[in-house]
Amino acid sequence: MASDDSVGETAAGPRHSSRPGTFARAWAKAVSGTSYLPMTQAQLEALLQRLTERLAAALRAEPFDPRVGHQVGAELVAAHIASAEGLGRTVEIIQLRLIRDLGLVADDVEDRMARLLSTVTTGYARALRDRTLDEQESIRRAAMMARAQAERALRDSESRFRHQATHDPLTDLPNRTLFTERLTAAIGEPARGADRVGVCFLDLDRFKVVNDSLGHQVGDELLVSVARRLRLALPEHLVARLGGDEFVILVERTTRVDDVVQVAEAALAAVGEPVRVDGHELTVTASIGIVERPVTGTTPGELMRAADSTLHWAKAAGGARWSLFDPERHRTELARYALSAAIPAAIDRGEFFLDYQPLTSLRDGTVLGVEALVRWRHPELGILGPGRFISLAEETGLIVRLGGWVLAEACREAESWSGGPTPAPFVSVNLAVRQVHRPGLVQEVRALLGRTGLPPERLQLEITESTMMSTAEEPVQALRVLADLGVRIAIDDFGTGYSNLAYLRDLPVTELKVAGEFVTGLRAPTVDPASRTDERILASLVSLAHALDLTVTAEGVETAGQADRLRAIGCDAGQGWYFGRPGPADRLLGRAPALSTAAVGADGPAGV
Amino acid sequence: MQRPNWAPDDIDIERPSVARMYDYYLGGSHNFAADRAAARSMMEAVPDAPLMAQANRAFMRRAVQYLIDQGIRQFLDIGSGIPTVGNVHEIAQRAAPDARVVYVDVDPVAVAHSREILDGNPDATVIQEDLRRPEAILRHPDVTRLLDFSQPVAVLVVAVLHFIPDADRPQEVLRTLRTALAPGSHLVLSQASDESRSDTGQRAEAERVYRRTDNPLWIRNRAELTVFFDGFELVEPGVVWVPQWRPESPESAEDAEQAIFIGGVGRLGG
Repeated sequence: MASDDSVGETAAGPRHSSRPGTFARAWAKAVSGTSYLPMTQAQLEALLQRLTERLAAALRAEPFDPRVGHQVGAELVAAHIASAEGLGRTVEIIQLRLIRDLGLVADDVEDRMARLLSTVTTGYARALRDRTLDEQESIRRAAMMARAQAERALRDSESRFRHQATHDPLTDLPNRTLFTERLTAAIGEPARGADRVGVCFLDLDRFKVVNDSLGHQVGDELLVSVARRLRLALPEHLVARLGGDEFVILVERTTRVDDVVQVAEAALAAVGEPVRVDGHELTVTASIGIVERPVTGTTPGELMRAADSTLHWAKAAGGARWSLFDPERHRTELARYALSAAIPAAIDRGEFFLDYQPLTSLRDGTVLGVEALVRWRHPELGILGPGRFISLAEETGLIVRLGGWVLAEACREAESWSGGPTPAPFVSVNLAVRQVHRPGLVQEVRALLGRTGLPPERLQLEITESTMMSTAEEPVQALRVLADLGVRIAIDDFGTGYSNLAYLRDLPVTELKVAGEFVTGLRAPTVDPASRTDERILASLVSLAHALDLTVTAEGVETAGQADRLRAIGCDAGQGWYFGRPGPADRLLGRAPALSTAAVGADGPAGV
Repeated sequence: MQRPNWAPDDIDIERPSVARMYDYYLGGSHNFAADRAAARSMMEAVPDAPLMAQANRAFMRRAVQYLIDQGIRQFLDIGSGIPTVGNVHEIAQRAAPDARVVYVDVDPVAVAHSREILDGNPDATVIQEDLRRPEAILRHPDVTRLLDFSQPVAVLVVAVLHFIPDADRPQEVLRTLRTALAPGSHLVLSQASDESRSDTGQRAEAERVYRRTDNPLWIRNRAELTVFFDGFELVEPGVVWVPQWRPESPESAEDAEQAIFIGGVGRLGG
């Protein structure tokens, strides 16, 4: 054994290490760079000094203890001197320098060195193997955790995506998609005992006013509040927002319509609670359409269309109420809708035709003019009068096309009536509000007259008082141009509408057509006070018209007595069953008007 | 980067990860066959690759020690990878037990692994984020919980910027981070450089290897890295080969350019 002092080593024990000696410094240099060592060179040298002392002690110890070598090997690995190169250089330096640098002397030193190296490498290899396995396990666990987390995130995102796809972002209520799914399931795969189903289709009354006057922000907050109240009031039912201010409540497992009515009343009450939004105290009402029916024999689409119609009935009745679905009414509406939808094709196929009703002179019984009345020869419904389709056409705007056709057809036919011994009657055509207000009316009429050759004075345009109620200047202007051309302008149904006489001053009117209801009164005996009133009104109208240089035609004349009294008043012409029912032009113009006092008989207006 | 928030990351261990390749260079076993294969390809092209990883790791160790000596107690390590051997919280918390560390990495496996290592350490945590989304990092609840940005913070972006092409606007990223920092904060940067290498074949081969990962290489020179310290005062000796940055001994700075990495530390004045 050499003196410890000579090489700076000490045998004081593993707990206390001295400054690194030559060997430890050489060792540190040898293993530097073999792998990353998370320490300073000084720390590395101090560590290796400690291990050097233990190796030295092991070489000296009696008996030889292999565990020291194992521990040193393990400690090297623990200190991250844990590479193949690190081990190789460690073996090399111990073998070459340990005994020499420490001045160790022993009889069996070579033998001991071999055993020491064997135990160090064994301990090292064991520790490195364990560490490698631990690290592999640890990184695999991390990969598994990351994958599990990714899958969880995917599931979360899928469910979030599903939620987004099936919910309304504003109110977080189920949206149309989810509602349709649930309704389809309720109808398509009804659970036991769920053989009937109901829906409440709810729409806020005058919601647009809130939006327009208080802004969309307030409107949105109101919708959120309504959604919350509906959800709270009806926790057991699916409440969905279809969009805008439309909500729908699915009522499953109903037994009768009352079940749904109760839900609707609860919904109306919930919506009707006053609410404070953005400093505004708002009270809103809602309308609800209720449909309740067996699941068999219906479809989700059919049910929702029915609910939608029913909602509109509630709205039309003034709102703040529910309406029950009525199949008869629904059928009627559907039929009306189907009829109106068929108008354009019917025009193209020539299903419309004109009948004419005479406007007969009360003075001499001649047919002064005829009013064109449109008919529809419907392939399934037979011949339909204007009452069945004109209002539909007016609602949808189809009246412009249909009215244009009537005007053209009337001009075409009327032109062919001339050439007889007596002057041909003028043709009187009704113009709808939309036709009058449409730009281009003047050009249209002018072109028609040019094309057909009908003299302008043989065309009379009938407009209603309400047509003139608009303050717009253009229609008046157009009518004035037409009147200047020579076209007659008549006010239809005079006395029943607005009766603002002011327009008579502005308008180039030729004739007043007095509504039939005044004429009806003339059927009663002259002693009847109501009848006398009607007669006086008529007399005043006639004198007013004559004072303004207008002629007067009385509509709805059904009896000879009425005709006599009208003639006595001074009325110019009459129209009604008494003078002739509407019919084809040839029949009408080929026969005498039924006029009791006038002696026109069979010599009536010219034949065709 | 445009991945929607709700779309989870794909975990594919068949694809080499730069974090696990780096672990392999450092002698760790926190890696899979694909990582080792890629790392070995890299080492064929650039035999010094393990050395450069070690040199870079040693630079980070000295930098953290320096920051601790400067009184810094908060660390934000972005692109921390697999923090196995000699990670920031070990260095920092050994020197200053009150030091707080937040690791950030984009690799979900690296994050899961870090989370396991940090389990039970109240002053260190990890979040999964991308350096390219600095706002998301800065407002992350774990970041704001652990770090007080009214006090100096050290931001470490070590061995990461060579995975960030200029198109991802690294300078803007660093500016965003800087504006969140209090005076006295520090920035530690290092990245691969090829200024010392005339062998362009090596670089081409290295780039080819890293194209197999999610993070292709983007090499920069010293001037280009220095620009990233804009707004900071560079601490002596500036941007240098990493072994030359405050070496523990003169010998350890020899052959410094072999390390391939350049780096430096900046201090935010004011």
